[in-house]
Amino acid sequence: MVIVQRKELTLAERLYLPEIFRGLSITFRKFFEKPITRQYPEEPLPTDEVTRGQPRLVVKDDGNIACVSCGMCEIACPAYAITIDGGETDRQIEREPKRFEIDMLRCILCGFCEEACPKDAIFMSNELELADYTRRGLIYDMEKLKRPKSALQPRIDYVYKINKRWRRTQA
Amino acid sequence: MSQTPNPAPSSSPNPAPAPAAKPATIKIQVDGREVEADPKQPLIRACHDQGVDVPMYCYHPGLSPVGSCRICQVEVAAGPGQPSRVVAACRTPVSPGMVVQTDTPKAHETRRECLEFLLKNHPLDCPICDKAGECDLQDYSFNEGQGKGRSSEPRRKLEKRKSLGDVIVLDEERCILCSRCVRFFQEVTHKPQLTVSGLGSRSTIATFADKPLSGNYQGNIADICPVGALTLKPFRFQARVWNLSKTLSTCAECSRGCSITVEALRGKEVKRFRPRYNPQVNQHWMCDVGRFAYAPVTQPLPPEGSIVGGRLIGATIRGYNGLERVELESALAEIADLLRASSKPLVLLSPFVTQEEARAALELCASLGVAPRFVSPAPNNLKDDLLHTGDPCPNRRGLSDLGIAPIEPAAALTELASASAALLVGERVQALLGVAELAKLTTAARLVVLDVVAHDLAALDAALGVPTHVEKSGQWINVDGHVGVLNVAVPAPAGVAPLDRTLRELLEHCRAPAAR
Repeated sequence: MVIVQRKELTLAERLYLPEIFRGLSITFRKFFEKPITRQYPEEPLPTDEVTRGQPRLVVKDDGNIACVSCGMCEIACPAYAITIDGGETDRQIEREPKRFEIDMLRCILCGFCEEACPKDAIFMSNELELADYTRRGLIYDMEKLKRPKSALQPRIDYVYKINKRWRRTQA
Repeated sequence: MSQTPNPAPSSSPNPAPAPAAKPATIKIQVDGREVEADPKQPLIRACHDQGVDVPMYCYHPGLSPVGSCRICQVEVAAGPGQPSRVVAACRTPVSPGMVVQTDTPKAHETRRECLEFLLKNHPLDCPICDKAGECDLQDYSFNEGQGKGRSSEPRRKLEKRKSLGDVIVLDEERCILCSRCVRFFQEVTHKPQLTVSGLGSRSTIATFADKPLSGNYQGNIADICPVGALTLKPFRFQARVWNLSKTLSTCAECSRGCSITVEALRGKEVKRFRPRYNPQVNQHWMCDVGRFAYAPVTQPLPPEGSIVGGRLIGATIRGYNGLERVELESALAEIADLLRASSKPLVLLSPFVTQEEARAALELCASLGVAPRFVSPAPNNLKDDLLHTGDPCPNRRGLSDLGIAPIEPAAALTELASASAALLVGERVQALLGVAELAKLTTAARLVVLDVVAHDLAALDAALGVPTHVEKSGQWINVDGHVGVLNVAVPAPAGVAPLDRTLRELLEHCRAPAAR
């Protein structure tokens, strides 16, 4: 058995009100400071090139998709989120994806696909929001994934910078 | 030395595999191990037989060695303690007491130098190349190569998409001039069609007078190509090879029953048939007819709410409003009643049924008191002296061994026209009898069909779906008596049960007392 000795309260503490006023003074002071809460949907989080958002496919300046459906991202994906079916094209690069799907519910935003890609065709964008009414709607097809290269350029430059050691030329 | 597939006399009734006379062997030393080697075979075979991996591009066990790629170099000494030198293992005969070392710095150094020359002009388009993942050049570069090119000159530019006939596309840049394809046509089909033309770095593989390739064995050169220079047009860019599930199986297109591997994209969609080495049946090869026979095994499912127009799935009977899907049990009871009501139902098997399914059919027929027969169409004109037998019945030998008699389609149709009830069993049985002829049968005949494809036949009373030969396991006996094994490569669609199980369930219903 342990006998706990309660601390004797001082007179000021027993009066109760001084402590209330001390606490309220903090509360009232905060009313006049700049709020730190972010009003999220209206006021989105700032992102930069380091942000690893959802993967997106690069559309080159000539309007063609950079992907050749080599399957490297598909095999690198630890969540099995990517499915690619390739096909033949008349372009100089003989192969292009006919179906490129990323199941965004499975995607864990790890960035392995970006790292695996030998053609600089997939990059992590700064897009983070994901909502739909159906699961099928969150399996993104090629049309939903395509982004012009200019939109992804900051991230592309950043990836080149951090991978400078392993890359010989810059596209 | 060339190992042409035996054009064995296919008609001989029982060509028991000749007892392999043990060849006189000599003792050599491979990587410190005493091994027995066949003096008729080159050194590389002795190494491979011991499980020692010696890389090879121009050498192929089914073709004669030429020693053009020099990647198979190993260090060889005449005896222990003798001075050693690096030689090409594919062009070196074995000699008694030879000491072979495959894993020395000197051997690796020479291989690395070879690889550097091979990679000098090889385009680095592995992301596009269909061979990536099963490419010998990729594998050995990974094992032996130096990871970095020292050459600063641009790579040679040649034609990337040169069509060599209906089956093969040649990428001249990727070719490493191993000449396996050239030798294949010289030594296996004995109809030379390809040659190495041009000199030096401008050498390319070309057909004589730029004529397209012909013959039934063109697809094999894409298999033996160690790089992605020769690719199959139907398979081009269809799948990455590491996404293909590989299942051992047997070709269905003739009674030779070549051993094949069924390769299905993500285990679902058949994308490729490739030959599998079987010294007794097909060696390393298969014909193009069998190689590209995807259509019968990739039938689409019928449109939603429809019964015909694709695979026959589930149990179907003819009700008052035409064909309708019913529960399997009620369909089986219906079929059993129908068969028992007839005095002598006609039972026709497809030559595609396996031994297991044929035995189940025999049990069913014994209970019905009839003898089944299998539909045996006339030989087609594809017969050659290499593999194709011209007989489209893959299990003719096995069915004959079980005592099932063949019947010509024309005779079968005559009997069908007068039969009170008929049971057609097995893959492609309607196609072999002729769908148009079957459709002409009157509604008086009672027809039960167990097939892969659904056709709206006027006489059809009941139909059950069966799996194709890539969706079931079983055995076929080929023309020479060798067993060909079938394995489940892709799952059968929902509502399709194994045929032998269906037949045995039908047998239970036939034995049970009549429900009505």
